[in-house]
Amino acid sequence: MNSMNNGTILTGTGLTKKYGDLAVVKEVSLSIAKSEFVCLVGKSGCGKTTLLSLLSGLERPTKGNVMLDGTDVTKATEDELALFRRNNVGFIFQSFNLIPTLSAWENVALPLFPIKMAGEERKKRALDLLEKMDMGHRTDHLPSALSGGEKQRVAIARALVNNPKVLFADEPTGNLDSATGDAIMEILKRLHTQEGVAILMVTHEVELAKTADRLIRMHDGELIS
Amino acid sequence: MNLHYLLNELYYQRRRTVAAIMGLSIGIALLIILSSLSAAYRQAAHAPLKEIGADITVQRSGNVPEQLAGVVFPCSAETIRDEQVKKVEGLPGVRGIGKAVLLWVFDPNRAWIVLGIEQKNPVGPAVLRSAVVDGRFLEEGRPEALIEASYARQFNIKVGEMVSIAKRSYPVVGMVDASRAAKIAVANVYLPLSEAQSLAASSSLVQSVSPFGKADVNLLFIKADQERITSLASALRGIFGKEATIGTPESFLKLLGNLFALSDKLTLAASLIAIIVAVLIAFKTMAGNITERAREIGVLKAVGWTNRNVVTQLLSESVIQCFLAGIVGLAIALVAAFGLSFMKVNIPIPWEMSPTPHFLPGGGDQIFKTLRLPVHVPFTLAVFAVLLSVVIGGLTGILLGRNISKIKPSEVLRHE
Repeated sequence: MNSMNNGTILTGTGLTKKYGDLAVVKEVSLSIAKSEFVCLVGKSGCGKTTLLSLLSGLERPTKGNVMLDGTDVTKATEDELALFRRNNVGFIFQSFNLIPTLSAWENVALPLFPIKMAGEERKKRALDLLEKMDMGHRTDHLPSALSGGEKQRVAIARALVNNPKVLFADEPTGNLDSATGDAIMEILKRLHTQEGVAILMVTHEVELAKTADRLIRMHDGELIS
Repeated sequence: MNLHYLLNELYYQRRRTVAAIMGLSIGIALLIILSSLSAAYRQAAHAPLKEIGADITVQRSGNVPEQLAGVVFPCSAETIRDEQVKKVEGLPGVRGIGKAVLLWVFDPNRAWIVLGIEQKNPVGPAVLRSAVVDGRFLEEGRPEALIEASYARQFNIKVGEMVSIAKRSYPVVGMVDASRAAKIAVANVYLPLSEAQSLAASSSLVQSVSPFGKADVNLLFIKADQERITSLASALRGIFGKEATIGTPESFLKLLGNLFALSDKLTLAASLIAIIVAVLIAFKTMAGNITERAREIGVLKAVGWTNRNVVTQLLSESVIQCFLAGIVGLAIALVAAFGLSFMKVNIPIPWEMSPTPHFLPGGGDQIFKTLRLPVHVPFTLAVFAVLLSVVIGGLTGILLGRNISKIKPSEVLRHE
């Protein structure tokens, strides 16, 4: 896939999402440049998670389209979407969503399981990422043996294992205490500044959002700034 | 399919795994046990005939003797003509025929049950050769007698003595413990077939009820191809008429009157019900397990697993679970079969097959062939049961996997 000429990695145009008659996202257009850290803020229920799902290819818009690195995501089939996510995006969820029966390194390697590659290479990539997240000492632990902050570090490593073009983070500090949340934000900032990963983060905490390059407010399904 | 993920899932989610395995394994065990029990009763039903070297016995029945004196046929045996025997020999599936003449002889001071036998024919009562406890077995061409050991004890008859049967004298050459050998056609004295035929042919009481030629008999033992026993039995009815008593393993099975022995179809139906219930239990348990994992499946899809990747993973888990269920079910069935093999089964022997006059000691008693139920799990059944488990696992995995793989990750992941 080719990068877009204007340096934009992700563009959503006229995005609308309706559930029955209820429009949750209304005619939203949004672009994110390569290596840009964008925060989407708004009250609970304003449609920011739905917008994130539309932009990341987790959900199809009722109207509008999403272009990621030159590919029209909205025209892809289910399996093409899965492959698209595998190759282009990473997700960080509020509640970590780690697989409880897999160790930390195996959770990190989860997106690589369906890919034909040597087991050793897969493990090395996962271990390297855990090391970067200061989790080198907890690689073989199950999620049940990890703290909330540790779980989120594992989830971030998992989101990075496929070298994503965009990282989508949905309330990544929502389930963490403030100190742990700050540490996670430090990691995200480091990823942005040192690794140049484009990040779209959803949060309802304006203070957290201030660390981003750009802040977008959302209200009742529409972008207001 | 990721084997490590699969094994971790089965190991760390032990409650789910055990519930799925136990549901199906009980059904598989029931299937194996029911089939093995049915086969065991069938095998047991062969025993009374097998121990006399035959698969089928034939007797004709007709009128009862006018009086119980001298030489008579046991009530209500009739003559089997030599030409009828020749017809039987020509039937497809007949591998050998043993002929015998069963007589009651009422002498002034003693009553005898006499059986005339072919001394060297392996089909029929000549199998008694191995049950001689004193003296020797009958030799061909000699008019001599073999006495049943308990009868000999009762009347103090010894080897080397002469016994008089219907005014003919025979040297006693041996004693035989008939109870050790067979329960069918048990007699007090065994004579060469030609001697018994001669006794019957010269008896006016026999001739008046059922005309008897010197080459005729009144009891046939048939060795047959196992798969043709049923068709042979109906062909024999064609030759001897509906009144003939045709003893087959099937007829003994009916006498057992046991549910497992009654019908192949009944056993098949019971086995099918067992397996259907087991499949439903396994399906419900696995469906519950997979539903619990909806969020996990959503994560897999979100990080780039295709529907095919998800189905393959769940299918592999299901197949492994059901394979284990098959192995556990087989183990349960083997233990149960071992326990059941200690069970004794009493097979009733119809009076006509070993007729003792009612007024003689033991004459009114029901005779049973008692044996341990030969329950065992055939290798082919064991393999079939395990393969069936794997197939059930495959179908369940595909069905549930395809269903759950259609979920949209955004739907299960949005509700934090």
